[in-house]
Amino acid sequence: MRACLWCGRPIVVPVTLADIWHWGPLPTPIICRACRQRLQPIGSAKCPQCGRQQATVQRCHDCERWDDAFVNHAIFPYDAALKAYMQQYKFQGDYQLRLVMQPLIREALAREHYDVLVPIPITAATWRTRGFNQVTGWLTGQPFQQVLTVSAASKPRDQSSKTRQERLQTPQPFSLVAGAATVLAGKRVLLLDDVYTTGRTLRHAAAQISLGGAQAVTGLTLAR
Amino acid sequence: MTDTSEQLYGRRVPLAQAPAKLTGQTAVVQVGRRWRCQRCHQLAGETDRLPQNVPYCRHCLNLGRLTALTKLYTIPEPNRFRMVTDSPLTWSGQLSPRQAAAAEQVLARLKTRTSQLLWAVTGAGKTEIVYPGLAWALQQGWRVAWTSPRVDVCLELAPRLAAAFTGIPQAVLYGGQPVPYAYRQLTICTTHQLLRFDQAFDLIIVDEVDAFPLATSPLLQGALRRAQKKTGCHLYLTATPGEDLQRQIKRRRLAVTYLPLRYHGYLLPPLTVKIAWHWPDRLATGRLPRGLVRQLRAYRRRVQRFLLFVPHVADIAPVLRALARLGMTHGVGVHAADPQRTAKVQQMRDGAVDFLVTTTILERGVTFPNVMVAILGGDDPVFSTAALVQIAGRVGRHRDFPRGDVVSYCQSQTRTVRRAQRMIRQLNRRGRRLGGQA
Ligand SMILES: [Zn+2]
Ligand SMILES: [Zn+2]
Ligand SMILES: [Zn+2]
Repeated sequence: MRACLWCGRPIVVPVTLADIWHWGPLPTPIICRACRQRLQPIGSAKCPQCGRQQATVQRCHDCERWDDAFVNHAIFPYDAALKAYMQQYKFQGDYQLRLVMQPLIREALAREHYDVLVPIPITAATWRTRGFNQVTGWLTGQPFQQVLTVSAASKPRDQSSKTRQERLQTPQPFSLVAGAATVLAGKRVLLLDDVYTTGRTLRHAAAQISLGGAQAVTGLTLAR
Repeated sequence: MTDTSEQLYGRRVPLAQAPAKLTGQTAVVQVGRRWRCQRCHQLAGETDRLPQNVPYCRHCLNLGRLTALTKLYTIPEPNRFRMVTDSPLTWSGQLSPRQAAAAEQVLARLKTRTSQLLWAVTGAGKTEIVYPGLAWALQQGWRVAWTSPRVDVCLELAPRLAAAFTGIPQAVLYGGQPVPYAYRQLTICTTHQLLRFDQAFDLIIVDEVDAFPLATSPLLQGALRRAQKKTGCHLYLTATPGEDLQRQIKRRRLAVTYLPLRYHGYLLPPLTVKIAWHWPDRLATGRLPRGLVRQLRAYRRRVQRFLLFVPHVADIAPVLRALARLGMTHGVGVHAADPQRTAKVQQMRDGAVDFLVTTTILERGVTFPNVMVAILGGDDPVFSTAALVQIAGRVGRHRDFPRGDVVSYCQSQTRTVRRAQRMIRQLNRRGRRLGGQA
């Protein structure tokens, strides 16, 4: 019996008649049914611009305020389940939990149209304490280009501990690495991040990517 | 000595920067082909690695992640407390003669640093029985932890101990506590928090030692062992010791003080078992076992309030419907996760409702003065031996109504039910010897 990677409870796999005739080892899921059911993806009712889950398909209030053309897709609403997941994975640093989202990120990336994948980077200080980039942890061999760097000085506090107002006023934290232009010129770039909260971070990143000569920039986040 | 040193007294603390004159210990070390965490002493899974192949521990992650690169720092416990000359006990209550005798025995064993168990039935007042012993220990300059696997027990206990020992500063530790750690003579904490300690305590009092998850967790049992000084001792408190503790008592490996009588001196009500074949099928058609119906009708005639326990939340609604068909509508259903739980319990206390249909024994200390108890499906695995004895203890809590019925309707007479009956009989046998009344 295997334990659920997320909640630690034993995984009970109901064996069906078809399974009995199935030769070889059965694939065991890595998380239990209850944990799978906690993860409810965003359906078709969402904001067409930022991907937020809502009752209508109109542009949401936040996007009205941005009043630009930056488009983001998101897999999950940032609900209690996703908050608990991010708490354990990102803030407690449980790198193993990357495995929970890897298949979902793989499927979501397959639905996107892009030439170059650019994950949002983490600061050197975060590398030292957390030891991993929570975004690239979800990738399973998909090629990506780390053309962005983030300076520690411009990211004094974690995004999650700021108010919306403070977040919106954050100065540009990203810069392009040397030679970024050769990678980006004329390309459709997809930015990958963990959570879209105000959209500030992704727009800062997108601005730099555009400066690098990209033809188009869109975003994909695990949660909105 | 500075404050940072105090943080390390008798603890294992990960620090980014080594303090002067201290050498750290690697937090996750290689043993053979595996890696073991030096805080929780569990083995890391083969694949529990960070990107640079750095092993880390997932077992105690919620206390802050430890990796093979982390260093733990510790300073041996110095017992640096202000000497207490007078007894620190400021509690003005009175122990009954029986409680005082038990307290005396507990104290005598503490004086010889003997680890022991206080087996006191629910409602015996076990916390107060520990006070004289605790007062003595604090007077000796001992560092003491009062711990429980349940956070609600810790939260209920902290203000009581603060009032009973006004001059003794305490630290209260649990996951998400609002106040940061401080070095104090008396620590009240969840058992999980003991993982951060290393040979710190001269005495560890473990409240509800039988409660989940301590009884089944080697991780927490190890935490208890390592948090206690080599020269220290422990005092387990329980109303319903598990098989393992009972075995230790029988083999005389653990000193035990019994308090088989409740504070009013009456015996526990015996647990009666009645067979109710296929009650779930009957319930599905809207009917309750005949015996139960008779019992509850009799209660209704004499306006006797009762608690009806059921195994699962899903059983509550059909049982309420079946009761309503019998004309019993002055009750409500309540379960552990019920958002209106507190309000409903209060209604029962106030007498606004006559019965509760419930899946849980409710919070510690929630008592109703005069209730009878019926259990539908007491043989269901959700009811442990301990739970059944606790449920029986809900009856006859008040001096004016010390007796009552506890009837379980079962499909079969299971081992857990028989063990619960045996435990009640055993306690009552001891109680009778002490002059307890049935
Ligand atoms: Zn799970
Ligand atoms: Zn939007
Ligand atoms: Zn550990």
